[in-house]
Amino acid sequence: MSDFIIRPATVDDAPFLAETIIEAEKSGTDKLSYSTIFGLTEKEVHKYLINILEEEIDGCELSVSSFIVAEYNGKVAAALSAWVEGLEDIPSTIIKGNLLNYVLPKECIKRAMTLNEIIRELHVEYLPKTIQIGAGYVAKEFRGNRLLGILNKEIITKLLNENENVNSVWAQIFSCNVPSLKTYEKAGFTVVTTRQATNKEIENYLPSNKKYVLTKNYK
Amino acid sequence: MERTELIDKLTTIFRATFDEESLVISDELTANDVDNWDSLTHMILISEIEKGFDIKFRLKELNKMKNVGALIEIITSKID
Repeated sequence: MSDFIIRPATVDDAPFLAETIIEAEKSGTDKLSYSTIFGLTEKEVHKYLINILEEEIDGCELSVSSFIVAEYNGKVAAALSAWVEGLEDIPSTIIKGNLLNYVLPKECIKRAMTLNEIIRELHVEYLPKTIQIGAGYVAKEFRGNRLLGILNKEIITKLLNENENVNSVWAQIFSCNVPSLKTYEKAGFTVVTTRQATNKEIENYLPSNKKYVLTKNYK
Repeated sequence: MERTELIDKLTTIFRATFDEESLVISDELTANDVDNWDSLTHMILISEIEKGFDIKFRLKELNKMKNVGALIEIITSKID
């Protein structure tokens, strides 16, 4: 572990961060919601995510400043995002929506309009002034070093220290992501909400029709 | 465009986007006040407003909008 450097992500890390967002979205399946909802190939999604990250807008899951990375010999090995929800009184979902509208082609938005009713059934609001854990990913060759656990601890400590009035950490996980669920439960998180979609069609667009919301209190 | 006319047009877009016929917009209205105001719906809302008013928001403008009042102000400045 001592050879890994943990540092905040920079815009130069955008390609790896885009890969992190894609792999985390897929939750171990081959279903990438950015592809299924917007009608894009994974390669196109990667390109647009880089465009979004390069805007360097803070405060959401698509912000470079939300990520920390583990680096080994100059190569990024793992990344994890977390942010304080609504720190500037604007929900992160609004910031994300603005970025998507700004970067994606109009035909992607048109396609999303037809699917929105199905997709939004699994939407769970983020509570303001809480830490939200976003995407995490370890490159294949660096697995087995417990990097996500290390990054988790590092980013939570950092955000708690920087934000005195924030004392809970939240994560949303698709039910198919059993390894992630187990890791969070082992770390003391508990499931507080389970959201299940009634429309079976949702499985055509998202990795699962069920989502867990987990939380842990600190301080 | 008169403010009332602008609000009427905006209300129509909001109601269609959120599929909520009784939705009433006010200056103080925020995303926290409306069910299902998630990132996808917001993206669609902004896109429909741009189309409806034939305007294009800058990213910087969008990320400063804390409520519908701020949104109305920016639309007004763009169509005047």
